[in-house]
Amino acid sequence: MRVGSPSASLGFALRREAGLLARDRSVWAWWLVVLCLSVLSVSAGLFEVHHQKAKLARLVEADRADRVAVLKAQKDWGGAAYYSFHLTYDAPSDFAFAALGRRDDTAWMHRVRMLALEGQIHERDAGNPVLALIGRFDFAFFAAFIVPLVLIVLLHDLRAAERLAGRHDLLVATAGQAAPLWRLRAGLRASGVFIAAALPMLVAAGLSGTPLRTVVVACGWLLSYVLFWTAACAALAAWQQAGEVILATLLGLWILLGIVVPAAGRMAIDRVVPIPSGADILLTQREAVNDAWDLPKAATMQPFIERHPQWAAHATVERPFEWKWYYAFQQVGDQKAQALSEAYTAGRKQRDRLAAWLAFIAPPVLLERSLQALARTDVQASLAYEARVRAFHAGLREFYYPKLFRDEPFAPAALEAMPRFKAGADRD
Amino acid sequence: MKPLLFIAGAEWRYWQRSRLALGAAVLLAVLLVATTVLTALRMQGEAADRAHHQAEAEAAFLSQPARHPHRMVHYGHYVFRTPAPLARFDPGLDPATGQSIFLEGHRQNTAMFAASGDSADLGALSWLSPAMVYQLFAPLLLILLGHGLIVREREAATLATLLAQGAAGRTLLAGKALALLSVVGLLLVPMTASAALGVLAGDSSLAAVALLLAYGLYLSIWGALALLVSAMLRRRSAVLAALVTLWIALTVVLPSVATSLAAIAAPMPGKLETDLSMLADLRKLGDGHNANDPAFAQLRADLLARHGVQRVEDLPVNLRGVVAQFGERKLTETLNRYASAQMAAEARQAAALAVHGWLTPLLAVAEASRAVAGTDLAHHHRFLREAEALRYAFVQGLNKVHAEKLAYSDDVRRSGDAAAEERTRVDASNWQLLERFAFAPDPAGQRIARALPQWLMLGAWCFLLVGAGLWVGNRLKP
Repeated sequence: MRVGSPSASLGFALRREAGLLARDRSVWAWWLVVLCLSVLSVSAGLFEVHHQKAKLARLVEADRADRVAVLKAQKDWGGAAYYSFHLTYDAPSDFAFAALGRRDDTAWMHRVRMLALEGQIHERDAGNPVLALIGRFDFAFFAAFIVPLVLIVLLHDLRAAERLAGRHDLLVATAGQAAPLWRLRAGLRASGVFIAAALPMLVAAGLSGTPLRTVVVACGWLLSYVLFWTAACAALAAWQQAGEVILATLLGLWILLGIVVPAAGRMAIDRVVPIPSGADILLTQREAVNDAWDLPKAATMQPFIERHPQWAAHATVERPFEWKWYYAFQQVGDQKAQALSEAYTAGRKQRDRLAAWLAFIAPPVLLERSLQALARTDVQASLAYEARVRAFHAGLREFYYPKLFRDEPFAPAALEAMPRFKAGADRD
Repeated sequence: MKPLLFIAGAEWRYWQRSRLALGAAVLLAVLLVATTVLTALRMQGEAADRAHHQAEAEAAFLSQPARHPHRMVHYGHYVFRTPAPLARFDPGLDPATGQSIFLEGHRQNTAMFAASGDSADLGALSWLSPAMVYQLFAPLLLILLGHGLIVREREAATLATLLAQGAAGRTLLAGKALALLSVVGLLLVPMTASAALGVLAGDSSLAAVALLLAYGLYLSIWGALALLVSAMLRRRSAVLAALVTLWIALTVVLPSVATSLAAIAAPMPGKLETDLSMLADLRKLGDGHNANDPAFAQLRADLLARHGVQRVEDLPVNLRGVVAQFGERKLTETLNRYASAQMAAEARQAAALAVHGWLTPLLAVAEASRAVAGTDLAHHHRFLREAEALRYAFVQGLNKVHAEKLAYSDDVRRSGDAAAEERTRVDASNWQLLERFAFAPDPAGQRIARALPQWLMLGAWCFLLVGAGLWVGNRLKP
């Protein structure tokens, strides 16, 4: 073997570094810490998903039993529609354990009925605000915020420590080239961190039956993220400064990218994209629904027919109270609030789009958002669920309108054909 | 005292020469001032917005035309939670809880439209407030400034000289502690401004002082930790690594882990789930819209007997209105029973989280800060209860009008008889029974007392660390 050939010297350096590393107990301790925290984050996620699934299973059954009991007592279509509630929900995905995301602070379950939807869809059956404020210890938080801190502690004083210990020049002299030595050293330490962080997630993914593609993409994101921080640490560690200066600078970078940029970005985006106040949507809808009682019936039926011309022939209301008129003004209430409601949804979408762009200059946010997107626990998923609830509610109206407007005789057996909420109907 | 001042002064001169110390201090100062100004502006805007919405909702209710009183029960009303004056320092739960509730007959709606639900989603730590800067970042500055306090002298071999010259270890430690304490005092300046704004906006100065005290204790704890580790380890880099590790564990990892643990230790049934069993209970109560519901047969018989008449038409009151009052009372009892159970479950979960304040002072100070600022769970729950009290008052007020000002014979015929319908409309002056809603925080003394466990936690941390400092000071070795 010719001394000095690149591959031979690399092999030698690798063996030497691996040997040094194997005896460095502090590095092993940090890997163990990462492993433990990853296990903790993943188990907390698995527990929460299990809890949500169990709750959902109980509710699906209770909701069905409640509806059956209520429908038994009904004597007309209007009453059946009025008294029967329908559970809608967004079941946790098979990767939700890794990123609980928005499921903590936005509603993922509703019970709706055929009344004006705007009065129902903004109900929040959200969890405890105290817990939502701090946020759970899920894998996404662990990976985005804690892994870089560990990398910073592990890698900031690679050179400074050796300099301090007086080994720096010896190491560089015996390694041949200096740059690969430090890269190798940083790479080995970072790989350990990556493996310790990813392993528990892989096990949990196996347990939850996560599709391989999701797991591979998640690992890809994590790997690129670890590479980013390793490169940042290595670049700063090459700086001829004391270890404390390097450490402080890296911590400053973590704060800047993980907290200051996102916080400033949130404020800026919320200012740039105004959304109608939720209270205004409800007020508009309420005024419309309540006014209908005092207005002539035609004032309700007219705007209703404009949207549903197929019922024009059946739209005369003769008695003081008819169910078809009652549901027509519920629908007109939604129609009046529609512009505001659509602006509210569009505004949230636009804010999320801008946040997605901003995340490119804030890697911790990028990783957290990417994992949430994979787990379908992000804003997009929450908006998609809302759209599914709207579609289901529209289906309910389509089911009852023919019966109400044609004044069909009440036939409980026909209720069997009532639309049922399908979990994740629009998913791939 | 003189040697202490001398030692502290020497430390200040050292910091003035250190670019790292200066840089970090300037950055933190910028961050503090920026978040203080931005949060104050945001919360002031929120307060004005919600007060405006509240006034609008009240005006809308009062300007309703003459109509049947039960229509107003369904027309309903809105209440908005105005943020506490000190929310400009610590918004607390404000972004995570709904800010408005729609109040109507027969139902308790949830507080809707939390800011966290419609704001841009930029990660777990993006709700930056002055309180959070103090909780998370101020400790880092103390670590940067404090980690070298003793170990620097040790590495430069000046510690041996100092001790040999007769400076007691304790005196040295106390002087260094004094230097760090003066930094804590300086750090509290932007907060004082924030708290003063809160006092100007109407909060008590007692609360402002308590808030300063809580953060003063918290930052002193971090200063003491830095000093102790600096006195115990031999190498400066080891001290810094240990302190940063401690910071990561206590401020980033533990609070979040504790949140997950609390969710596991005190699970909470969701509102939908309890609503289902509540609905079943409510159906047993009878429908207050229907005076012929068998559930009200006893009420009707009692009423007829009390007035000595045979027919409901001969009663001096409108049976429908009486039934509505009775039905609403029974229904509200059930609703309140479920609502209290839900609040108790939330409070249990929050307590399961708060108990971790013994392990990390961050959770202790965060909870104390929210309690004193009036932005904690207790205040949110009081908002819910006050909203419910207002709901019940105006609904029952309207039902009373329904019972006393409407003739039963008109009321039963109004669906088919336009003239009778006209007579069931009561004058709009009746809507004046609506009470004005204004949400204000609890008295300062009560808020401070509520944080008692947190004061004990912070006190215990301080006590332990001072004890440890004395112990280490006696054994300080070069």
